[in-house]
Amino acid sequence: MFERILIDSLIRSMQVGSLYALMALGITLTMSVLKLPNFAHAEFVTVGAYTALIVSRNVSTNPIIILGLSAIVASVVALVSHITVFRPFEKQKSSIYIMLLASFAVGLIIRYVLFLTADTFDLFDQRIQVPLEIWYRTDNFILSNVFFWVVPTSIVLVIALSLLLNATPLGREMRALADNFDLARVIGIPVERVKWLTWLLVGALAGISGALWGIQTSVSPLMGWVVILSVFAAAILGGLSSFPGTILGAYVVAFSENTIMQVLNFQFGLSFSFKPAIPFIIIVIVLLIRPEGFTQFFKSNRSLKR
Amino acid sequence: MLSIRELTAGYGKLEILHQLSVDIQVNHMTTILGANGSGKSTLLKSIFGLTTITGGSITYNDREIIGISTENISKLGIAYVPQRENIFASMTVRENLALAVRKASRAEAALRIDRAFDLFPILTKRANQRTGLMSGGERQMVAIAMGWLMNPSLMLLDEPTAGLAPLVAKEVFETLYNLSQKGITLVIVEQNARTALRWCEDVCILREGTLVYQGRNDAFAEDDSLLHTYLGLLSIGKQ
Repeated sequence: MFERILIDSLIRSMQVGSLYALMALGITLTMSVLKLPNFAHAEFVTVGAYTALIVSRNVSTNPIIILGLSAIVASVVALVSHITVFRPFEKQKSSIYIMLLASFAVGLIIRYVLFLTADTFDLFDQRIQVPLEIWYRTDNFILSNVFFWVVPTSIVLVIALSLLLNATPLGREMRALADNFDLARVIGIPVERVKWLTWLLVGALAGISGALWGIQTSVSPLMGWVVILSVFAAAILGGLSSFPGTILGAYVVAFSENTIMQVLNFQFGLSFSFKPAIPFIIIVIVLLIRPEGFTQFFKSNRSLKR
Repeated sequence: MLSIRELTAGYGKLEILHQLSVDIQVNHMTTILGANGSGKSTLLKSIFGLTTITGGSITYNDREIIGISTENISKLGIAYVPQRENIFASMTVRENLALAVRKASRAEAALRIDRAFDLFPILTKRANQRTGLMSGGERQMVAIAMGWLMNPSLMLLDEPTAGLAPLVAKEVFETLYNLSQKGITLVIVEQNARTALRWCEDVCILREGTLVYQGRNDAFAEDDSLLHTYLGLLSIGKQ
């Protein structure tokens, strides 16, 4: 019995961790290249999930089409947020605190637009219409097609993102902005264009992770907001600048929330209502003991220096 | 020719340069000297649109450049090597140089980077090392190499020898001299007046945001009292 619960929670940790990694990479990218702790990222995720829901009901249940359209819609929302809100604040040379509050505001606006939409079309807690199939079964556990979409898709996207950053001219320019914004301008990098492309990329990542998240659970206007603290915990574990650190952080958070929680519940009877506290506890411990997160473990890797 | 007319500039409400006028001769090495806070760095930053300009004009080859955004100034053939944080510290030497030739085709970029390694041999064996881990002199060479790779006709350098050992500073000036021999006009802001006066034939001295002296470096060799008057130095020292 216990073994079965453990394996089950490990599979869940892996699935959730992969999605946390996708979302946390978006936050790390925004933080390092665009210098913005973007809490509206949560709502970009929700926008992706709602796009997936609507597409799956009205257009197609093909996962590639669902993920593609979610990426496009969320990246447009991200770019529009930049043009209408974040860029005007940047032009005024606003402090990072004002930018942070602005990101909360953007998130709230999007969230309540989604509430209105959900209310009008009765789209609360709906499942995305994709057929659920069992692809692998043993005595101890079952792997559904959802597992085989979420985990490999996340891994492929993470690899693609690393390649983009380290091996393409655009990636090099993004890293230049992250490293030294003024020098990037001085040597003639079109910084505004690079920012736009970064927003599109960040939005697309959020959209895809939202669609996958919606496929594995259900879609509601608060879903992004509910996970964003776990995701920030993962990003902070990664020091908000290192990609490998962020990915490791995502799996650590997911493992703590699922497997460790499960074990504590089984062995000590700890209530599952403590689960939402886990990311807070992780954030506090990391900031107290190791404010730089996991970055030191990855010194040899090229990180996005803040 | 770079021509600055009655330039008033600063940061926000703080005004540093007061109606400063100066002309920079083509194909010369010009040094800008002055005490801390006299506006030397502000002058270079103003040319690159990094200050608040409230009056005057800056023309390069008879074209007004005030109002051109920082990222477009380099297209006019002007390169700027800032004093601090003048490299991308988290990237390798090769990546830094590649950013400077980002407009060129792949083949041409590779060729120009190879030429940069010829011109700055000290960087060759460090090509794949992160610049943040290198010594001050090596970092300065990376910064100058980046500036040179942008194909400038005019290069502005802000204290390229700050914090460097005298021998390394000499190497930096030798490199700069080579660049000027290739027909690049150099404007070098310096703290170390003696070194700068040895290498740069034109001298501008700023005080409290205005130009107080412009002339040839020979004048200083002949007349020690000039230095005393303008910079409070006792003697230029014979080589």
